[in-house]
Amino acid sequence: MFKKSLAVLSFILAPLMLLAADVIEPPKEFSFANYDWITIMIVVLVLLIVLVIARAFDIGALTEKLSGKKVVSWNNVNAWMAIIFIVAGLIGVFYELQVHGPLLMLGNSASLHGETYDSMFYITFGFTFFVFVVMEILLFYFMFRYRYNENRKALYYFHNNKLEIIWTIVPSIVLTFLVLRGFTTWSKITTEIPKESQEIEVFAYQFGWKARYAGNDGSLGNQNFNFISGSNPLGVAEEGQVTELVTELKNEIVKLEALQASAPDSINAWKGAYDRFVATGLDRTFPEDFKTLKNKHNDGISGAYVRTLIKDIGRKRTALNRIAEYRKDVDFFDGTANDDKVTTEIVLVKNKPYIFKFRARDVIHSAYMPDFRVQMNCVPGMPTQFAFTPTMTTADARQIKNKPEYDYYLFCNKICGAAHYNMKIKVTVVDSDAEYNTWLASQAPLVAPVVVEQVPAKTDSKNDTTAAVKTVAMN
Amino acid sequence: MSTAALHADSHHDHHEHKESFISKYVFSMDHKMISKQFLITGIMMGIVGLVMSMIFRLQLAWPDEQFGFMETLLGKWAVDGKLDPNFYMGLVTIHGTIMVFYVLTAGLSGTFSNLLIPLQVGARDMASPFMNMLSYWFFLASSITLLSSVFIETGPASGGWTVYPPLSALEKAMPGSGLGMTLWLSAIALFIISSLLGGINYISTVLNMRTKGMSMNRMPLTIWAFFFTAILGVLSFPVLLGAALFLIFDRSFGTSFYLSDIYLEGVGALENIGGSPVLYQHLFWFLGHPEVYIILMPALGISSEVISTNARKPIFGYTAMVISLMGISFLSFIVWGHHMFITGMNPFLGSVFMILTLIIAVPSAVKAFNYLTTLWKGNLRFTPAMLFSIGLVSFFISGGLTGIYLGNAALDIQLHDSYFVVAHFHLVMGSAAIFGMFAGIYHWFPKLYGRMMNDTLGYFHFWITFITAYLVFFPMHFMGLAGVPRRYYQFTLVEDFNVWMDVNKLITVSALIGGAAQLLFLYNFFYSIFKGKKASANPWQANSLEWSTPVERLHGNWPGEIPTVYRGAHEYSRPDREEDFFPQYIPDESAPEVLHTEDHKVAPEEKSPEEVESSVFFAAIKRVFGLS
Repeated sequence: MFKKSLAVLSFILAPLMLLAADVIEPPKEFSFANYDWITIMIVVLVLLIVLVIARAFDIGALTEKLSGKKVVSWNNVNAWMAIIFIVAGLIGVFYELQVHGPLLMLGNSASLHGETYDSMFYITFGFTFFVFVVMEILLFYFMFRYRYNENRKALYYFHNNKLEIIWTIVPSIVLTFLVLRGFTTWSKITTEIPKESQEIEVFAYQFGWKARYAGNDGSLGNQNFNFISGSNPLGVAEEGQVTELVTELKNEIVKLEALQASAPDSINAWKGAYDRFVATGLDRTFPEDFKTLKNKHNDGISGAYVRTLIKDIGRKRTALNRIAEYRKDVDFFDGTANDDKVTTEIVLVKNKPYIFKFRARDVIHSAYMPDFRVQMNCVPGMPTQFAFTPTMTTADARQIKNKPEYDYYLFCNKICGAAHYNMKIKVTVVDSDAEYNTWLASQAPLVAPVVVEQVPAKTDSKNDTTAAVKTVAMN
Repeated sequence: MSTAALHADSHHDHHEHKESFISKYVFSMDHKMISKQFLITGIMMGIVGLVMSMIFRLQLAWPDEQFGFMETLLGKWAVDGKLDPNFYMGLVTIHGTIMVFYVLTAGLSGTFSNLLIPLQVGARDMASPFMNMLSYWFFLASSITLLSSVFIETGPASGGWTVYPPLSALEKAMPGSGLGMTLWLSAIALFIISSLLGGINYISTVLNMRTKGMSMNRMPLTIWAFFFTAILGVLSFPVLLGAALFLIFDRSFGTSFYLSDIYLEGVGALENIGGSPVLYQHLFWFLGHPEVYIILMPALGISSEVISTNARKPIFGYTAMVISLMGISFLSFIVWGHHMFITGMNPFLGSVFMILTLIIAVPSAVKAFNYLTTLWKGNLRFTPAMLFSIGLVSFFISGGLTGIYLGNAALDIQLHDSYFVVAHFHLVMGSAAIFGMFAGIYHWFPKLYGRMMNDTLGYFHFWITFITAYLVFFPMHFMGLAGVPRRYYQFTLVEDFNVWMDVNKLITVSALIGGAAQLLFLYNFFYSIFKGKKASANPWQANSLEWSTPVERLHGNWPGEIPTVYRGAHEYSRPDREEDFFPQYIPDESAPEVLHTEDHKVAPEEKSPEEVESSVFFAAIKRVFGLS
């Protein structure tokens, strides 16, 4: 039976161990000076001190037993500790409310729904804080009051239906109230969207944000992730950019196919170089170069190199096909995207309703604007949105917080990779449309303005160029 | 019937003589030995998880400091003594995974379900000792697999313990999503197998192997808690396995369960379309939420038993406690959406999940009130186990109340993924459950090793841990309310977060002290195994069945016949008894099962309306489970 389980286990572990053996690097050469011995010794010292203290208690217990006298009455010590803990703890809680309370953004909401949010918060806080204080006090008071006394017998008391019904019903009523209140708040925030809300696309990628504003035509153009390129980070459906991407993709495919054709030669060359490195001992002199070479060599002989090439070519062909499909749909490239402006800052006007449309390019991100009580995940493949109305300009916030440098930010609040902690975009709320218009005018549209102005007049010729580009793409 | 029992007994006696070193200590099928194996492995994993948290706490408190020893420990992950952001994510992820699954699921349930279920229901061993042994070995294999991922070149999985795709699905998205993630998924798959093997065993043992007289309504609350925990695990872990399998398929076989519309820097547009990352979250949290109760409920069960024993009082509202556990278990399956309010889920769905979530507060409140009433007018013996149980109740109250904020979809907009969440779950599920585990270790140490732990060290361990735990997690509420996001490698890049640096330092220093205090526990634990004071058979004067077994470990638990049970497990301080306890296994025909003192009349024949009600309830349970 044991053999059976051993066999099962080794069956599971063996491949993992093989995998690990291949990956774990051999340790670098040991050098005494490389190590921070002082800290290590301090840690060892701390351990020793703890051991000594621990031994001391043992000896203390022993002397107590030998002399027959209780040196310390732990019963009382623990009971009094309960009182000290609850008193000091509550003082600490109130101290924190005093010190950190003003740091909280609560009460200074910078958006319209934020006020509803804050009132919901305060109701919940009032209720829970009361229960928290009462229950904790009772708990530690009971601990003190009913500490062990050998002359007393505990009350034999195992149930009381009336009491239990009361404390089931009362929380139920309070929670019903909180649920109803929460339900109305939540519905109001998520579903009551003013019709005149301005749409802004907020786009998340590793690791940054971009915003897209509609140009003069007042509407955001279409987009698709297949259109994304270095110069078109949001994948906006704009003819010129997409044409460029198609050319680029085709060139890359040609390049990759050439690599694929010469793959046997490259693999041989790597093998030769690898063997030479090993034979001449260069692998020890240049360990970094050797490592790169070894990886290439391994990929080559295992076939991973060719597989990756084939996969890359396939991926790029798929992208090309998909782009071609979209191009058949003339409405998709309706030109509304041409005057869109992609910005690296979000500027809003006070007291105007906005609806943010969130998109993500690679992994899940979350758009978090604590000042505005706004948060929504940005999910690749699933557009999300959040509607709100800012009510406090950046200048107002600076004044209230008494921080002349203060700025609103939109943070990323869903773990997304190494630079997650530094993924933010500045949000500025201005007082008037004029300020906003000046700012927007200073932002460059996707296509040069001259073209934008010609779009309405030259619709026919535009369609012609579309058709021309399409034939190019088909070829 | 009796001959069969005798035969089983002789079989066990026969087995007793055959124990070799291997079969006794390594591939043991004795539930007590397996429980010790789970405990020691759990403690080891706990140390790793704790040390990891201390390393990233140092980074958060002193982001610009260079810690030479970190480079010594971590090599290329801390060049010049500065922690690498990728490895920070890895530490956060592995810390979460270890604590949630390896310490508080396997370490807690694995140890105490294994130890207590057969002992407290009166069985010689688990329903299937072999499966039980396999459960441990799968757990160990899983632990080793997970730990090995820390040592590979690309680092361990680092997308957070929830490993949301596409981050975890795309090898190019971050270094940890390569081999580290593969190892994480393998480890979790092994873990799920272990958990299922254990859970099926626990359920069948509780249902089928109770001794004579041990009806369901005489079981100690520990057993009820382990029972519901096992049911939750058996029903929800397979869903996680499904989620993990889909993820493995997406990673390795080109499927698109969770992937759609993705463009990766340096790779280009991916072919995958049609999948949904949110699907993973639904599947994950369908386990993930019950998992929270899989962690917490055994701790609640242990503390019920410990508080009742050391308050020398019957647990107040036994039936209400069982119904609460049952209600929490049921509700835990239909509230997973409260982890996803702001994923872009339909707002109406959010409302439904909010309502269901806040209902859980009712049974939880009932439990907290019942704990308080049990302490009221008790005669409290402050054993370390009792202190840890009281600490658990304190955490359960303060951490549970913040759940009312987070369960509210509207309030969650601001609080989601902020430090408020970190504070909430570390108090209510982390600290509370680990305190339950400590309470269990201190209380049942005599049963595990036949020796006593040192009380004085236990007191120091408790007070330092309790105070530092509050100092670590309480200030985090305020950070969260101010909009500080969790899982940030450093805060100094955001001007407005700089005000929290002092708080961060306080938290880190407290965490270091709290971590050091665990050395007292470790010393106490390992020293007492070998050199502790010899325990008597029933050192706490407790009622439940496990204290009727001999001090020396015995495969088969009782040398003779299994004792019969005559009453519930919480009959302490009965006015009609001289002693303040009345063990379940002591026959006394004259004594009624329950003493009704409310009207100062002892009326064993007549049943009060409440009792009839409760027996109707238990009859219903029995019918549901097909028990006679």
